[in-house]
Amino acid sequence: MSISIALLSLSSPPSTLLPKTHFFFTHKPTLSLTSTRPSFFTFRASAADNGAGVSAPAATVEEPKVPEAPEGSVGSNGAVEPEEVMVLTKFGDPKWINGTWDLKQFQKDGQTNWDAVIDAEVRRRKWLEDNPESSSNDDPVVFDTSIIPWWAWMKRFHLPEAELLNGRAAMIGFFMAYLVDSLTGVGLVDQMGNFFCKTLLFVAVVGVLLIRKNEDIETVKKLLDETTFYDKQWQATWQDETSGGNKKE
Amino acid sequence: MASVALKSFTALRRSTSDPPHFTTQPLTLPHQQQRFRVSASRTSPKLSNRNLRVAVIGGGPAGGSAAETLAKNGIETYLIERKLDNCKPCGGAIPLCMVGEFDLPLDIIDRKVTKMKMISPSNIAVDIGQTLKPHEYIGMVRREVLDAYLRERAEKNGASVINGLFLKMDFPRNNKEPYVLYYTEYDNKKGGMGEKRRLEVDAVIGADGANSRVAKSINAGDYDYAIAFQERVRIPDEKMIYYENLAEMYVGDDVSPDFYGWVFPKCDHVAVGTGTVTHKGDIKKFQLATRKRAKDKILGGKIIRVEAHPIPEHPRPRRLSGRVALVGDAAGYVTKCSGEGIYFAAKSGRMCAEAIVEGSEQGKRMIDEGDLRKYLEKWDKTYWPTYKVLDVLQKVFYRSNPAREAFVEMCADEYVQKMTFDSYLYKKVVPGNPLDDLKLAVNTIGSLVRANALRKEMEKLRV
Repeated sequence: MSISIALLSLSSPPSTLLPKTHFFFTHKPTLSLTSTRPSFFTFRASAADNGAGVSAPAATVEEPKVPEAPEGSVGSNGAVEPEEVMVLTKFGDPKWINGTWDLKQFQKDGQTNWDAVIDAEVRRRKWLEDNPESSSNDDPVVFDTSIIPWWAWMKRFHLPEAELLNGRAAMIGFFMAYLVDSLTGVGLVDQMGNFFCKTLLFVAVVGVLLIRKNEDIETVKKLLDETTFYDKQWQATWQDETSGGNKKE
Repeated sequence: MASVALKSFTALRRSTSDPPHFTTQPLTLPHQQQRFRVSASRTSPKLSNRNLRVAVIGGGPAGGSAAETLAKNGIETYLIERKLDNCKPCGGAIPLCMVGEFDLPLDIIDRKVTKMKMISPSNIAVDIGQTLKPHEYIGMVRREVLDAYLRERAEKNGASVINGLFLKMDFPRNNKEPYVLYYTEYDNKKGGMGEKRRLEVDAVIGADGANSRVAKSINAGDYDYAIAFQERVRIPDEKMIYYENLAEMYVGDDVSPDFYGWVFPKCDHVAVGTGTVTHKGDIKKFQLATRKRAKDKILGGKIIRVEAHPIPEHPRPRRLSGRVALVGDAAGYVTKCSGEGIYFAAKSGRMCAEAIVEGSEQGKRMIDEGDLRKYLEKWDKTYWPTYKVLDVLQKVFYRSNPAREAFVEMCADEYVQKMTFDSYLYKKVVPGNPLDDLKLAVNTIGSLVRANALRKEMEKLRV
């Protein structure tokens, strides 16, 4: 945290930032220093365009970087070396080699730790979203998320959500079955044979699948409008034949 | 289908008795257009001792090709263009089919783009173009060269090219009276006041672009439009080699919230630009971001020109009224997703002119709204699938950064590249192999799911 405070206070003159970071972090491969020179100059040029922008990226730089150090040691058990901060304008990471993640560095017990790869890519994208940088032909980015196998995605993202939805469906199902039984006296097995009950079941399942947050109700309503909006704009000419007036879509 | 309709109304003209069920009431459904047109043309007078007079307002690709088709078929054509040396701000890309369909000489094409690079928000770069055959390319043209060529060709075929600015028009009171156009003639004198002139014509084609005055005079209605902002940058020769036949597309929230940023090579410089519909006020910010993303590749470049222009997002509510029809950008025929307009402008100009030629039988008869509606029908039928597919692509892939990441990932797939280029270069939505389509659908969903999952993790970091 003291690092962030120190760097924040230096945010106004960008020329002093480079030597200061060098002071705080001792590991710095010389290759990365020379390659980041151009981006340092471009950073200065953009500072001239938009003075306010200089302090903003400098301020946000620290947020993802500082928690990265403890996260890095917890997440990927193999590598516990400190995260390198190069120049504040370019993404750099020891595991990011030649425009892609070096899977050999994500080994855990002889197997690739896909969760750590996903974490690393998330951090990279977050960084780039906050500090967009120039795409370069010398070190092109060639990472493709499909190298992470489908089961890693399933385990991490789909299964928790599936558990949640199945839980909701089970609760709704139990209560609806009880309610219908107490109101009509029809037991669970007999309910399954009834058409109305089957419809209710279908609606309940679809509802659980589509409406996961409160906002989803609005989203589903807008979706139908959105899919047909363009068609309506094109059909406007033909509708004018009867109305005769202006139809503004 | 067009020829069948033609035959039926010539038969009716020769018959003496009126079939009782044909009325002159305008019908509401397009598929009944045939009957409407038949009855009207039966009552259309044959023009005595003169040919049909048509004015084409606007001398861009739409106006030029419309005027050429009209003049070639014996119609008295007037092409009114306000600035004959206009360097229209434009991406300047034309598909391969345009060269063949419009007989364009190869020397008006400055560059043949055969490679494209798509760059995602996290700078994942994908090269596309490996599936192109050796004779396939996207042509980059200078608009002043293309427009001048098409206008000259129209003139050679008999059209009168007038250097003037259209002001307003008087509408006829019935089907026999002409439209009276008022325009200021400049006659190539720069800076002069120009003389007010008056021209009587039987039909008008409005090809005067996104801010069409013809559209305003017929109350065509408004459309949503994007602002496209572009800077022409002259970069050092060694950097120009990279862009020899390569164009780049940058996607990302920083570059544009609903469109893309581009670097297109032109004759001796590159055009760096971006566009947006929803955040027009931030366009300068987006342009800076685009330049930043391309920084390494355009370093040392000098900006030689800055230009901006509106691009329509969808057709106007009314594309024709009486004997006035809109074509090209004036009608709003720009596709979504890619923002392509030159080919569709030229093609719609030609199609409208062809409808006038047919309806007037090479200029011998007066035409009416029904003949022009035929052009709209044909246009909507031919190109609706293209427009719809591009709209769906824009809605799905330009919504958010994860969607754009997925988009760039999908572009790495060879099948996608082949389908994209085939449909772009030849303007036909061709259904491919169903098994490959299924694989593509699965891959698309996979990419979208992965990118959105990463985005959810990113949000967790933010908190």
